[in-house]
Amino acid sequence: MRTSFDLYSRGDKFFGWSVTILLGLFVASTLYPFIYVLATSISSGAAVQRGDVMLFPKEINFDAFAYVMADRQFWVSYGNTFFYTIVGTITSLAVIIPGAYALSRPQLPFRSSFNLFVAFTMWFHAGMIPVFLNIRDLGLLDTRTAIIVAFAVNAFNAILMRNFFENVPHSFEEAARMDGANDFQILWRVYIPLSKPAIITVALFCAVLRWNGYFWAMVILRDQDKLPLQVYLKEIIVELNMSDEFATDLLSSSYSFETMIAAIIVLSIIPVIIIYPYIQKYFQKGVMLGGVKE
Amino acid sequence: MSSAEHLKRHTVTEFDLPPLTVGQRFVESIKRNWQIYLLLAPMVIYFLVFAYRPMLGLVIAFKDFSLFKGIWGSPWVGLEHFHTLFDDPYFWRAVKNTVIVSGFSLIFAFPAPIILALMFNEIRHQGFKRVAQTIAYLPHFISIVIVAGIVVNFFAPSGIVNLILTKLGMAEPTYFLTKPEWFRTIFIGSNIWKEAGFESIIYLAAITGVSPSLYESAKVDGATRFQMMYLITLPCILPTILIMLIIRIGNLLEVSFEYVILLYQPATYETADVITTWIYRQGLQNSNYDVATAAGVFNAVVAFVLVITANQLSKRLSKTSLW
Amino acid sequence: MTNVTLQKVVKRYGAVEVVHGVDLEVKAGEFVVLVGPSGCGKSTILRMIAGLEEVSGGRISIGDRVVNRVAPKDRDVAMVFQNYALYPHLSVEQNIGFGLKLRGYNKDDRHKLVQDAADILGLTDYLDRRPADLSGGQRQRVAMGRAIVRDPSVFLFDEPLSNLDAKLRNKMRAEIKRLHSRLGTTSVYVTHDQVEAMTLADRIAILRDGEIEQVGTPIEIFTNPVNAFVAGFMGSPPMNLIPGHLAGTAKAPAIVLDEETSIALPALKEDSFAAQIGAQLGLRPEIIQLVAAGDTEAPLAYIDVDLVEPLGMESLVHARLCGHEIVIKAPGVVSFDTNARAGITFAPQDCHLFDGDKGARLDFEATS
Repeated sequence: MRTSFDLYSRGDKFFGWSVTILLGLFVASTLYPFIYVLATSISSGAAVQRGDVMLFPKEINFDAFAYVMADRQFWVSYGNTFFYTIVGTITSLAVIIPGAYALSRPQLPFRSSFNLFVAFTMWFHAGMIPVFLNIRDLGLLDTRTAIIVAFAVNAFNAILMRNFFENVPHSFEEAARMDGANDFQILWRVYIPLSKPAIITVALFCAVLRWNGYFWAMVILRDQDKLPLQVYLKEIIVELNMSDEFATDLLSSSYSFETMIAAIIVLSIIPVIIIYPYIQKYFQKGVMLGGVKE
Repeated sequence: MSSAEHLKRHTVTEFDLPPLTVGQRFVESIKRNWQIYLLLAPMVIYFLVFAYRPMLGLVIAFKDFSLFKGIWGSPWVGLEHFHTLFDDPYFWRAVKNTVIVSGFSLIFAFPAPIILALMFNEIRHQGFKRVAQTIAYLPHFISIVIVAGIVVNFFAPSGIVNLILTKLGMAEPTYFLTKPEWFRTIFIGSNIWKEAGFESIIYLAAITGVSPSLYESAKVDGATRFQMMYLITLPCILPTILIMLIIRIGNLLEVSFEYVILLYQPATYETADVITTWIYRQGLQNSNYDVATAAGVFNAVVAFVLVITANQLSKRLSKTSLW
Repeated sequence: MTNVTLQKVVKRYGAVEVVHGVDLEVKAGEFVVLVGPSGCGKSTILRMIAGLEEVSGGRISIGDRVVNRVAPKDRDVAMVFQNYALYPHLSVEQNIGFGLKLRGYNKDDRHKLVQDAADILGLTDYLDRRPADLSGGQRQRVAMGRAIVRDPSVFLFDEPLSNLDAKLRNKMRAEIKRLHSRLGTTSVYVTHDQVEAMTLADRIAILRDGEIEQVGTPIEIFTNPVNAFVAGFMGSPPMNLIPGHLAGTAKAPAIVLDEETSIALPALKEDSFAAQIGAQLGLRPEIIQLVAAGDTEAPLAYIDVDLVEPLGMESLVHARLCGHEIVIKAPGVVSFDTNARAGITFAPQDCHLFDGDKGARLDFEATS
């Protein structure tokens, strides 16, 4: 603990201020894109086009949002992303938690072999094409199942969870066993309640992967109605933005292509911003857990 | 008591239960452990089906693969695809780009979270520190697609970057994303923006572990804050830095291709095309599955060797290893 | 009420044998303490009785049933763990009732049994609290509550007091004793603390390196240790052991500590005596008396005093007897000059004699 009544020398004060200012600049530059996008989304298309919007919105209106929200496809993919994130995360946990518990038990026969079996996949991947062909051979192309199941477990998260279970004092298991619990009961009634922070952390990591993932959805899914938000965003934001053909249509109106994109970005970030404060304490802990020796 | 005596074995006594036969032992083990096996089963099945089964698919690197004949029905062609691959200047360009992008990331992106963590640690105002951290971590949770969208928007001819530059007196707006010479800067820069804050957590955790008495005794010895940062904090988190560096080296070939795909376009392939994006275009866009898989095998083997080497290095240097 | 029998019990981890054929009979209702230095195998034995460790050889019976291959939950034993292993996410009531719930007791029965257990342990007011909100002693009691609520036929205690501070340890020790006299359940208790062993046990089993050195009541063990190890382990401060060799005859033996010091001993049994063999003289700190300068009695030996630790009612005198460190417990306050020389005396029948090599007890001729 350093106390606030430290007496600093002049040099130290200068150092302190320099650090504060540098960090302030970093924070500002981190925050700026968000502010810019938000300002753009509620400015008029014309103002953005003229280059008037840099920090504060000009000619405030919500037409861009109205335009985006009128698009059925937007809501479909929004809903899909929620579906993939929630169902996908639950599926991941349903496989990872029991598996990690089993891997953490010293009495598991061939334990080190099983652990190697899991860890090996962290260091050697089959790669993009074999994974794609595998999903194709299993008849899972263009299915929601592929998105949910084929990417359910990542070895890193499994090992993270296992490390946590390993660090639970063994006497909890033994006490439960003496109390008459079997392995299912020990996991369900003792280990899971004891490991809530770790489980939330792993759930968070899984959910972030799910929420942000677009590549495999883009490769596997064809049906527009199954696409997650990220693929929809990619099609609109990145691909259209790069082609200049769109640019002139909407110039004079209250919204433009740019404000519309900004509105989509704002809408897709909102859920993250809403839950962000609740999850912050967990991911800090989780990253530290990840530092535990594999 | 001598150690030989400590290791002594008691002979069989009449009180020993009759030993179990192999069959009985098997039944006994299943009876005792079937629940654990059952809990483990989904994970094992998952890895078998979705991680190990695809590895079998790597054989198509040595086959004239057609979707029609399937993996096992396609005829063998030996190393033909590797010859094709190694004769392809565009593949070598991708290899070169991968190494360069990784190398620059190592130089510029790797130190960023360390510097950030050191700075966070020097902030005395707890409120400011908390707010700064909260904001710094946030971009990690933003989808890469959105980050790409923002980057595209910022660096577009009519985007904010050009706007500022023209106001500063530049004549013509530059379309940065079509300029190969700008790609690496934008790619690595935006990556730092997205991940440096989040990655600083691991270093902050390491800093938390530094004993406060070290600072106190340094203060008594008259050290300045900068000296304390340089002479205490930094050396104390060096093991963590080393581990992260080794992990980074092990993953040298893993350029975030998802992000590259979003940012690059034919005009910038010259500097932007990396091995994985090359595989993506060859395999998934042009359906050259076998050649693309050959490149994948090349990539996976080199990556695996790097990981193993990095781990050995780590064992030697810091007595910590990843496994 | 159930007895527990260990017959030639062996525990191996791979090639290393850590328990070498232990025999022990715990009678129904008896309180037996396994005591020994760390690594002696006492916890391993307890865990084998609990079923948490496999038995490598020999057999363990609870009642008339051989339990080697019986699952812990089917052995009808309950265990109190060193770290208590209380579930932090459950209230005291749920913690105590956890085993009952798993065994399918309904809510009312559970509540009643938990109430009874809480009554006995004085936990009634804390049933809604979480373990984190309890003091060390209360946690310890909850851990015991979890054991007694199931009314098992055997209690197993694995160093249950070692996490408490000294004062609380004394208090809880008395409570465990009271609990046992009230419930009368067969108990096996593991500790490395010889005071706990002395105060709690009906019988003590002293272990060393995976073997039982001696089993007996606390008084037997204290007064008749079978060897130098047991003698040195029990008692606080422990017995002084001074090496020397025997001289004289079996009828009139003496132990020679150095050229000047030879102490006459009571008659030894014929088979205990051999002239010139190495022997160790065992003197409890309490039996040694300091001889004041003007005393009529001639001292048996002289000591060089190193330091004195005053404890109030008594003083511990650290000194050297013929070059070997010894401790003397003297009543009241004593003071010496530095490096003072003092005479000591003791009743020869109160001392112990052990073989110099193996440490086995050398018996005196029984005095009637």
